[in-house]
Amino acid sequence: MGFLQILTYLSGLVFVIAFAAKLLKYATMPMHVRWELYPIPHEGKEWGGSFYEEVDHWKKTRHKDHMAQYRFMVPEVLFIKALHEDNKSLWYWSFPFHMGLYLCIGGLAFLAIGAVLQILGMVPQNSALASLFQSLTIVLAVPGYVLGTIGILGLIVKRKTDSGLADVTAPIDFMNLIWLGLLFVTGFIVWLQDPGFVVSRAYFVSLLTFSPMKEPMGLIHVINLLVFIGFWAYFPFTHMTHMVSKYFMWDKVKWDDDPNRGDPGMDSKIKKYLAYPVTWSAEHVDAQGGKKNWADVATSNPWEAKEQK
Amino acid sequence: MRPEEISKKTEQLVNIKIEDLPPLPPPYTNYEETPITPLKEEQKKKWEHSLDGVSALTLPRPETPEEEERLVKLFLSGLEKLMTKENNWTFLQPLMLSMEYCAKCQTCADACPAFEMSGRKDIYRPTFRADVLRKIAKKYLSPGGKILPGFRGHDIDLNWETIARLAELSYRCTLCRRCTSVCPVGVDNGLMNHELRKIFSQEMGIAGPEIHEKGSVKHLKFGSSTGMTKAAIADIIEYLEDDIEEKTGKSIKIPLNKKGAEILLIHNAGEFMAWPENPMSFAILFDAAGIDYTLSTELTGYDGVNYGLWYDDVQFARVALKHLEIARDLGVKKIVIGECGHAHKALSVIADRLLPGEQMIPRESSYTLLNEIVKSGKIKFDPSKNDFPVTLHDPCNVVRLMGIVKPQREVLNAIFPPGRFREMEPHGVENYCCGGGSGFAIMSSGNFTDWKRLVSGRKKLSQILNAFQGEMDPSIRKMVCAPCSNCKGQIRDMLESYEVFEKTGIWYTGLVELMVNAMVDQEKPFLEWPGDEDDDDM
Ligand code: SF4
Ligand code: SF4
Repeated sequence: MGFLQILTYLSGLVFVIAFAAKLLKYATMPMHVRWELYPIPHEGKEWGGSFYEEVDHWKKTRHKDHMAQYRFMVPEVLFIKALHEDNKSLWYWSFPFHMGLYLCIGGLAFLAIGAVLQILGMVPQNSALASLFQSLTIVLAVPGYVLGTIGILGLIVKRKTDSGLADVTAPIDFMNLIWLGLLFVTGFIVWLQDPGFVVSRAYFVSLLTFSPMKEPMGLIHVINLLVFIGFWAYFPFTHMTHMVSKYFMWDKVKWDDDPNRGDPGMDSKIKKYLAYPVTWSAEHVDAQGGKKNWADVATSNPWEAKEQK
Repeated sequence: MRPEEISKKTEQLVNIKIEDLPPLPPPYTNYEETPITPLKEEQKKKWEHSLDGVSALTLPRPETPEEEERLVKLFLSGLEKLMTKENNWTFLQPLMLSMEYCAKCQTCADACPAFEMSGRKDIYRPTFRADVLRKIAKKYLSPGGKILPGFRGHDIDLNWETIARLAELSYRCTLCRRCTSVCPVGVDNGLMNHELRKIFSQEMGIAGPEIHEKGSVKHLKFGSSTGMTKAAIADIIEYLEDDIEEKTGKSIKIPLNKKGAEILLIHNAGEFMAWPENPMSFAILFDAAGIDYTLSTELTGYDGVNYGLWYDDVQFARVALKHLEIARDLGVKKIVIGECGHAHKALSVIADRLLPGEQMIPRESSYTLLNEIVKSGKIKFDPSKNDFPVTLHDPCNVVRLMGIVKPQREVLNAIFPPGRFREMEPHGVENYCCGGGSGFAIMSSGNFTDWKRLVSGRKKLSQILNAFQGEMDPSIRKMVCAPCSNCKGQIRDMLESYEVFEKTGIWYTGLVELMVNAMVDQEKPFLEWPGDEDDDDM
């Protein structure tokens, strides 16, 4: 097995472990107090209303319109709808960049399928199915490279020229954009040299069969691969994983309006949290350096006691 | 201005100038506004003011470098505690997500009324204070934080200037969460500000004096943040009964501490003092609709406010638990919250996960119940008695943060003639804060009142004026319905500062007063407009 293959496996491993750790970190945090923000699609009230609009709401069965959540989320993820509505001048660049990225990921998936077919003996020359997946790879990846490059260039210029953005953009942010830009540009050049992604597919085959490539890859393929490998391992450590916040902040924070109706799961969590020690130092908290827990401090009234003395 | 500049050793980071502020709508286009009153020299010596020349906290300047250092360290230990589940289970998940995920797109900036109305001063960007917090956490609390901080974008100095300015800056955001609504990745800068205030209060004992010593402490000590004691409230209720008789001819007994009543009604106690017509109106409406309810005179039970919501989880929990305990002791079936936005959110939403389910008591908004009363037909209303233009202010806490949007509109439509009610733009869940949110309505230390007038209240004033364009003749009386005590206080202050009633005929009131005014069996007008008493005297 070649050095590049080992690097690719390692990079994939880092990605999976780091990303899973990130998900786990957020998924295992305590249930927070309710902090929802309306409109909440599953409430099914397009004006942004909630169950609080109904008298004796706790006596009624709750109906959650789960489809409404998807009706909100799908255009949001695919078209970055919120940015389109509230920050159009950035959306003009952010959208092609994101769409470029999605198309490239789609292209990569089809390339992988093409590689599996090749292992099974089906190549575009002898199989209509393999040929279809080859075409799909090209149809997705090439526009993806172009859109991605346009988006990245636009974002770099925008961040340099808009003073509001320039002030909050650090050198590392430009590095990230350039890195992604390199991924798109080198990918495009790879396609120019290898219009059927034959070499790329062969590399995938070598990855899937744990065997070396039959012929060494060209320089531009290697560069494209190194840029990708590096980014794959680096990505989970950056704020670019904002799909994580998109999931948790919507599903677990802004849309989490589940009322406390004595659900045993919720009750046991609350009891556990009330037993957590408090170490806040301000005098009025009176936590005594962790001797008191949340139940103690919340049920005490230091001033009432003083009044009575 | 980059967030790192917060630690610069300069006298003042930013200066608010009238000419930088967006103009107000007619008839205020050429109105000569009064600038922020500069602090006097002796005040400057005493209080921190190096952010924008404004002191909301009257934060004393440390006397020695050692004291500065101690406070800086305390801040850092507070930030560390904020990121632990033991000390901050209440908000840890949304805080950490917001800490980690800002995509630096600035979409939130355009949604923020404080930023827009300051003439787009960078320090008021929703991300500014959040970024400072992120950068401090990255540089000083994360492993390897001091490696390439400039390249990684967190080369910030943690000195006393940073802390003092952050403290003031945490009181330049109304926690309206409008910025959160538009963030494409869900980052909650409103929450970040809330959490920042918690570090100051829970670790360092620093908070707005009106919301802590004169607020939640008084609430827990005397029973009300107004300082009103248990004994005083009983007297006040008697006065209200007399006033009701005088204004309506009806003899109504307001039930107190009635065990087993269906409903515990909790008002913001500020209403008893500043707008007694509001609790009077509730009494009139509930009496007419035959509602079985009671008020409480127990410690905290007659004041629904919960200032801890804005700055301190411990103070919040103490008050919320008291409210629930009082309701349980009375044996009521539900708590109904009067016209107070933050009391709505505090008790209904945030307190919802403080106790196991069996110890909770259902809580309901008065807007919902009032709408039910209207729909039930138990009270007859004559909309022609409210024959004047009216607009509605949406309190953020009730609308964007609780999803109660329609009931108050249905009530207004039922008690006003068609075409009289017009919306502000935008409204509902996209509304703008009155400018008094997060405690600002009651905060008036230093020269903060001027900042509220010029910056935080400016958007709402513009919206109010815009709602009535074309009818600005002061002889046409117009009303802003603001069904929340704090919003009402802020709107009152704005209308008075800009002499809005005199210049345009616009005044403000709550929802229940408008309902009583439209009751068929209410012989005299119940609503009072400025100058009405003078007219009566003549
Ligand atoms: S919560 Fe409101 S005031 Fe605070 S930063 Fe966000 S939009 Fe501005
Ligand atoms: S809108 Fe959200 S992601 Fe964009 S700058 Fe504001 S907080 Fe950050």
